[in-house]
Amino acid sequence: MGNDRTRGWIRGDETAKQMLSRVLRDRAFLLLPPLHRVPLRAGNVVEITGASPSAKTQILIQAAISCILPKTWNGIHYGGLGKLVLFLDLDCRFDVRRLSQMLKHRLLEANRLGNGAWWQLEESNVKTCTSVQDKSSIVYDEELYVSCMKRFLCLRCYDSLELLSSLKTLHYRIRQQEACGSQVGVLMIDSIGAFHWTDRLSSSLALEKSNRKSLSLTNVVETVVQEMKKLLQVHSLVVIATKATIYEERNFSSKDDLSGNASSKAQQPPLREFMPSSWQAFVTHKIIIRKSGDHQSVQTGQQSLSAYSLEWLQPQLSSIDRFIVDDSGIVIVS
Amino acid sequence: MAPLKQLERDNPIIDACFRDFCASHGILTAEDFLLHDLYELAAFAERLANSDRLKESITLMLSLIELQCRPLLNGMELLEDLHRHKHTLSTGDKGTDSLLQGGFREGQLTELVGPSSSGKTQFCMQAAASVAEKHVGRVLYLDTGNSFSPRRVAQFICASSDAALVQTRNVYVQEVLSRISCHTVYDIYTIFDTLQGLEVTLRSQVQMNVNKCRLRLLVVDSVSSLITPILGGSGSQGRALMVALGYLLKKLAHEHNIAILVTNHTVGAGEGGKTKPALGETWKSIPHVRLMLSRDHRNSDCTISILKHTSLFLCVFVFFLAFRRDCEDHNSQGQSTMIVLASFAIYAHLLEQCLFNQ
Repeated sequence: MGNDRTRGWIRGDETAKQMLSRVLRDRAFLLLPPLHRVPLRAGNVVEITGASPSAKTQILIQAAISCILPKTWNGIHYGGLGKLVLFLDLDCRFDVRRLSQMLKHRLLEANRLGNGAWWQLEESNVKTCTSVQDKSSIVYDEELYVSCMKRFLCLRCYDSLELLSSLKTLHYRIRQQEACGSQVGVLMIDSIGAFHWTDRLSSSLALEKSNRKSLSLTNVVETVVQEMKKLLQVHSLVVIATKATIYEERNFSSKDDLSGNASSKAQQPPLREFMPSSWQAFVTHKIIIRKSGDHQSVQTGQQSLSAYSLEWLQPQLSSIDRFIVDDSGIVIVS
Repeated sequence: MAPLKQLERDNPIIDACFRDFCASHGILTAEDFLLHDLYELAAFAERLANSDRLKESITLMLSLIELQCRPLLNGMELLEDLHRHKHTLSTGDKGTDSLLQGGFREGQLTELVGPSSSGKTQFCMQAAASVAEKHVGRVLYLDTGNSFSPRRVAQFICASSDAALVQTRNVYVQEVLSRISCHTVYDIYTIFDTLQGLEVTLRSQVQMNVNKCRLRLLVVDSVSSLITPILGGSGSQGRALMVALGYLLKKLAHEHNIAILVTNHTVGAGEGGKTKPALGETWKSIPHVRLMLSRDHRNSDCTISILKHTSLFLCVFVFFLAFRRDCEDHNSQGQSTMIVLASFAIYAHLLEQCLFNQ
């Protein structure tokens, strides 16, 4: 039996083309900074924790853009995955203008890198076009922009019931979308703890029948996890979820914060976990973002940007990235 | 929650037999289905005699669930909705409008945070006057502290209108004022009532296609005075109501293209007398835009700054607005002068004052 298997393995039943297509299909994606430290594979569940505002949605948007961009288009390298993004908007405040703005910026940047001569010719033009929309239409490919925007799918949910029914039917809807061509690459949830308090309240409502499941927090989250696990079995997805901190960090000293030195981990208070254990067990990668003072840029002395520090908790990495958000997106500063 | 029996009228396949099967698994309503693994249910049904019919019913339930779901919108559809239905409304103050790139956006919830007497109510009334006048929209003003003053609103309208004759001006002001309706609301339960009533009215208006003079701005001054009394303690009820109110407002805003403006007070954090917005961490994820008002009591200048914005980039802009708010001055337009700061020292000081604490 073992002999047979070995012989089968040696003989090889896969052509190089088949193998390449298999390997490339579930190749790990290396997302842009600040998620660049750990390569993510299909089936991974990333949780990004941070108080609001801490650029969580910004990270999602940038990851989404690298997913919806094609790898190459008309000879210019964009380095994207060309896959669909499913964005579950539980906070109900996703602003599509931000996505559109960032996408245009990325397209322009790629054009600039791929086309040096052109850049030198119209440098003045490009510099102004991030703020002036009509000018920017000259310099990026409208068709590419539209096809990228169409790969971004958004679904709003106003309560847990809507979330559950969306997840129940998501498989069919993904099928419908995938029939149009591209596969879904990332499922994003912004943010997972949005209905925490309302669910906790319904946990206390008693139901008359003993075998009837109530819409309690644990039951809801358990079902959400179960439905997502089912989705992950059928579709090769990476799940990225944000989690807003809903408790204040009590012993948070703002003096340490001001110094802008967030490197010593011992000072950081432990985070209060509020998600039920079923969710915690589901998460494979954990990131935490903290505000770490302000960053004064040398060129624009007048404008100070909030700086954030990002730390990988799972897998635990010793390095902490500090980044700021400006009009070009997330910029790592140290 | 709708009991399964109600569904039988339209879908005869959900018969007593299927309901018995569901009841044995603790499923009594359509919503109960959401908490169950439908594959598992189908596997249970497999073992029974009438498995085909049961499985057919389960598939039907799934399609009923799908009908209730919101559509999956792609980026272009979202942009189209934005350009077609979500316009910006002037706040009535040029400086703030340029800070917010046009003003409030319909479909979004803007929160105005500031300590007592920092000009929050003035800002709200000015916005109400501006929307009713310039955008010819209806304004619903939910007042929780009897601070709404029609006379002040009239002043704002007078200041920006250019009708010379007193008589025509009065007619004009009255016409604009008739578009602003004020309701007093003293507790969170009343506001739920009011908003749910509003939702029903708006929905019926959509069906009847009433389009003239639609509701464009909803002001809640102040939302924190409704929520603060129910917060506190370790129970989740207060916070659940707070979150539910936030979602109800966001739903109204998005589905009926209304700009929503709420005000929030500040509380001392205890550490070195610093203040921060009330309502805590959970509320932070409700508003789209968070504005901070602070006032220098020496020269009564108001400063407005962005604490959070979902589409402008996340860094904090600081602009200084000299926002005249004396009620005696009839010609005061609440006009703002915008001084982009030059001095680094003042800047750092201001940041420490109003931004670091949150």
